[in-house]
Amino acid sequence: MKLISKVTLGLATATLLFVGCGGNSSAKANGASSQVAAKATITEESLGLRKTDLYTEDSTSAAKTEYRTEGAGSSKKINRAFQDAPPMIPHDVSGFLPITRGNNACIGCHAPEVAPAMGATPLPASHFLDMRPHHKLVGQDFTKTVDNYKNETSVKKLTHLSQARFNCSQCHAPQSQGNLAVENTFQANFITADGASRSHWNEVIMDELDTVKGGDNFITAEDIANKNSAAGSLKAAEAAAGAGKH
Amino acid sequence: MSLDRRKFLKSAAAASAASAMGMTVPVELQASQEKAESDWRWDKAACRFCGTGCGIMMATKGEGNDRKIVAVKGDPAAPVNRGLNCIKGYFNAKIMYGADRLTQPLLRVGADGKFDKHGKFAPISWERAFDEMEFYAKKALKSGGPEAVGVFSSGQYTIMEGYAAQKMMKAGFRSNAFDPNARHCMASAVVGFYQTFGVDEPSGCYDDIELTDTVVAWGSNMAEMHPILWSRVTDRKLSDPDRVKVVSIQTYTHRTSDLADIEILFSPNTDTALWNYVAHEIVYNHPEVIDWEFIKKHIIFAAGPVNIGYGMRRKGEKSLVDGKYTELEMETISKEMSKKVSAKEAPALAPYGYKEGDTMNNTAGTLKHWEISFEEYKKSLAPYTLDYTAKIVKGDPDEDINEFKAKLKALAALYVEKGRKVVSFWTMGMNQHTRGTWTNTLSYNVHFMLNKQAKPGSGAFSLTGQPSACGTAREVGTFTHRLPADMMVKNPKHRSIAEHKWMVPQGTINPVGKQHIMKIHRDIEDGLIKFAWVNVCNPYQDSASATHWIKAAREMDNFIVTSDGYPGISAKVSDLILPSAMIYEKWGAYGNAERRTQHWRQQVVPVGDAMSDTWQWVEFSKRFTVKDLWGEQAPSGPRKKPLPNVIAQAKEMGYSEDTTMFDILFANDVAKSYKLDQKDPIQAGYDNSEGYGDGRNVIGSDGKVFEGYGFFIQKYLWEEYASFTRGHGHDLAPFDMYQKVRGLKWPVVDGKETQWRFNSKYDPYAAKETKENGNAFAFYGKLAKALPYGDLQGIKKKEKTGLKNKAKIFARPYMDPPEMPDENYDTWLCTGRVLEHWHSGTMTMRVPELYRAVPEALCYMHPADAKAKGLKQGGLAWVESRRGKVKARVETRGRNRPARGLVFVPWFDEKVFINKVCLDATCPMSKQTDYKKCAVKIYKA
Repeated sequence: MKLISKVTLGLATATLLFVGCGGNSSAKANGASSQVAAKATITEESLGLRKTDLYTEDSTSAAKTEYRTEGAGSSKKINRAFQDAPPMIPHDVSGFLPITRGNNACIGCHAPEVAPAMGATPLPASHFLDMRPHHKLVGQDFTKTVDNYKNETSVKKLTHLSQARFNCSQCHAPQSQGNLAVENTFQANFITADGASRSHWNEVIMDELDTVKGGDNFITAEDIANKNSAAGSLKAAEAAAGAGKH
Repeated sequence: MSLDRRKFLKSAAAASAASAMGMTVPVELQASQEKAESDWRWDKAACRFCGTGCGIMMATKGEGNDRKIVAVKGDPAAPVNRGLNCIKGYFNAKIMYGADRLTQPLLRVGADGKFDKHGKFAPISWERAFDEMEFYAKKALKSGGPEAVGVFSSGQYTIMEGYAAQKMMKAGFRSNAFDPNARHCMASAVVGFYQTFGVDEPSGCYDDIELTDTVVAWGSNMAEMHPILWSRVTDRKLSDPDRVKVVSIQTYTHRTSDLADIEILFSPNTDTALWNYVAHEIVYNHPEVIDWEFIKKHIIFAAGPVNIGYGMRRKGEKSLVDGKYTELEMETISKEMSKKVSAKEAPALAPYGYKEGDTMNNTAGTLKHWEISFEEYKKSLAPYTLDYTAKIVKGDPDEDINEFKAKLKALAALYVEKGRKVVSFWTMGMNQHTRGTWTNTLSYNVHFMLNKQAKPGSGAFSLTGQPSACGTAREVGTFTHRLPADMMVKNPKHRSIAEHKWMVPQGTINPVGKQHIMKIHRDIEDGLIKFAWVNVCNPYQDSASATHWIKAAREMDNFIVTSDGYPGISAKVSDLILPSAMIYEKWGAYGNAERRTQHWRQQVVPVGDAMSDTWQWVEFSKRFTVKDLWGEQAPSGPRKKPLPNVIAQAKEMGYSEDTTMFDILFANDVAKSYKLDQKDPIQAGYDNSEGYGDGRNVIGSDGKVFEGYGFFIQKYLWEEYASFTRGHGHDLAPFDMYQKVRGLKWPVVDGKETQWRFNSKYDPYAAKETKENGNAFAFYGKLAKALPYGDLQGIKKKEKTGLKNKAKIFARPYMDPPEMPDENYDTWLCTGRVLEHWHSGTMTMRVPELYRAVPEALCYMHPADAKAKGLKQGGLAWVESRRGKVKARVETRGRNRPARGLVFVPWFDEKVFINKVCLDATCPMSKQTDYKKCAVKIYKA
């Protein structure tokens, strides 16, 4: 019940509209036409992200983007949102984007060999792994090099940045300042002392991938047979319908 | 908690040692024995967002109601994404924790506590909420029959939710006023599939990316909308940069072009001309590359009518008669009835018998088509010379025409090149298009002629937008016209199969399925639909011409209910808001664009009194009995015949007049055979709020603590739905199989998934069809597989010829959209998404990192346009169409870089309500809205 009260409190604080209405919500209803002591306290405008009249645009404009203006190297790093979460960009990115085929400005400072000198967060070891198995195609014959029915994986160390991670802005974004539209009650739980500032993901990549505890983590013939599924076959119903196949 | 460094080093070393030997190591050998995060529970799940369908690993911590998500990481075992996610994928961790989660039902009430449409919201009990819903649904049934009860359904339903909703709507309410937001996203692709293959199924899979030599993105910003697929494309491109070519065909420059070898900027809607140009190059200039053996065995040519309108409201419809549309709006809507053939489209329409200045009288869109000869098809391509194509297609007024022509030739050359594998990808650009179905079919034309379809590394491949547009909306059939596994309500055999499976009387299901999602909005505005329920979507923010639908909801005599995790715009304009459990608060499954079904378990208990959409449907079903729903229903709306009284049959089946739909559809004996069992390794230790209830002791729909249904309802719903698919080319595997692996690509036949459909080597259904003739392909879809014969202008011979196992190449001309820039509205408006936000932003705008990444929808435009209009970078501007206007800040230096004459404004921002500006014209065949084109003027605010 702790969680519920916290979230409800969050809503009340965010809208300031539940104040004084506690207790009414638990009124017992006896049908649509019954008298119920529900008290209308929440306006349409108080709900959601747009707190203005929905029917006209005159008084509505978007929250202004205010990215940080500190230059790369002189900005204060932003804590990771949770253990091994991708870090957000604390510096001005104008001039660095777009990342194009011929020009990825991010790597210039964040490559691990230069990052310490630049005061940049180094690309972690995870970015130097190729985790995609390379299936084989000979003529029209395709064969998989790992078996997804056994949850097999493939991890190869690379001497260069994984090209799958070339588009840095796919995971890392600059951050606008100012108030959030709505608070978020997520609580990070860092399990390493430096979890807010460093990735340890490459160390735990293969951990906990067997998600069915005390059972098989691969497909068995018994699974395929699916013998105990009363709803699992349409045959009986079709026979009854005399409808044949569709 | 301290880390055991040695252990980590050991496992990392094991991984690298294995790779050094060129081996791949099964997971169980690599996993470290002790877990550092001993009080975290890791489980696999699917990402909540796009159609890519990435796998994630999700960690939760805490006990009972207090268990919460603490982390998300990429899943190295997931074939789609192999350990990598995009920014939205990682931040699945936070999407359920916005501070304003809906935690209780909220009803608009007056001072007396009774429902009042004009009242403010008050928290009420679940029991009161269902009382109100029951009352107003019954009132609607009385006023307009089943057609008066509508549901906005979703491509983001879990498969089980979508199935439960469909069952209650189609078997219970006998209503087909049930259509998903996927209509806005996939419908043109679907009709394209039906028309071309006779079955709604893609041929290829994502493995094509690693196998191909060429990726052509047609009007698709994959870099932002399918980021992980784009990372796979990037990996492929950069690993062999000389051989692998990437072409970006777009209406404005964006991140997808940043990786491309060739960028082609085209004028909106002319992608149809561009596809025809490539076909023209093949047929007229490189006929030797046509694979005639393939064509003769597998293909016929076809044409259909061209004067099919634009899916807008038609003359005589009530709201038009009532004057609810302004003169300005009617300027565009009038083209639905008739239009003048323009100079731009006249050459393309010449083979169909039209010339410039002709009046084209439109009839409402039809799926009708007929067979034609190759010579007729060739005639349809004649206009698409390089000169004509370049003239109408070139989208950047500042680009040199000769340079542009060179790019068109280079594009055609890549397709034509012998031995070059080519994948064409698209999503909303081709689908959200008033000729979206046509454009989809045109893509297959080119691939077919070159025999580059349904093969490893080659094929035209429609990417889905939503996480389960394919798995739920299409396969389950949460559309007005569909039943599970590609069956149709209008087909009596299909209805019969569903009625038997659902254990409801023959004749129960309504055979008329015409209330698609825009029709639902329009039927509310016309006063036919009096009760509407919004499920897992946001139709009052996501529909074009939004002002009309919001007015209809707020001002007319109806009752609108929205179930959601957060109060979005649909919730705000509703009469009743229900708090929904979000994705990881329930058991579920999604099906992605490559036909991969992925399941997850309930990770945490929902917040407040929120309950899943499945629970809401099942509880609602308790309020309706046989006699409430299964009597005769008089003609209503699109249905011109009565629905029969099936109560006597119901009694023969052992039901009474008072048996509830709950007992028939959801808590029957078959359902109860699926046991809750904490000894089952799949279930052990996991919550099941629907099955057991949970520690919150939510007061349920009867005013008592909800203590669970007592059976494994999600597994029941899955298995019953899956039974429709098995043996019919849509085969899904048993529930437990999906719990053990990272998804399987349907059809899963004898336990094996299918890589390439229609290809006899890989698809057991194609293999079956080709067993005797030894063909390499069988396009075995069953729909529209017997056609009359004619030419480009019509049917000449009515008798039909069968075309078993064949696919179709369609003649389809370029045509103008119904609204184009003119003197008063001089700029194209295109809408869409950005990487960091999902759809209407209800989840992602509440994640701090995503909100801060893109806190507002900007108006992306060319600096010269801004200057000419007196606008400053970062300054506010009005974006105004014939329908409405919004304010947005001008961005001339951003990630999206239009040429002069076009602006892009994304739609995630409630404060930049761009759908007030957009036009609700649709592809008249697919009924999918064209959000990519309308005419606006832009001026300083």
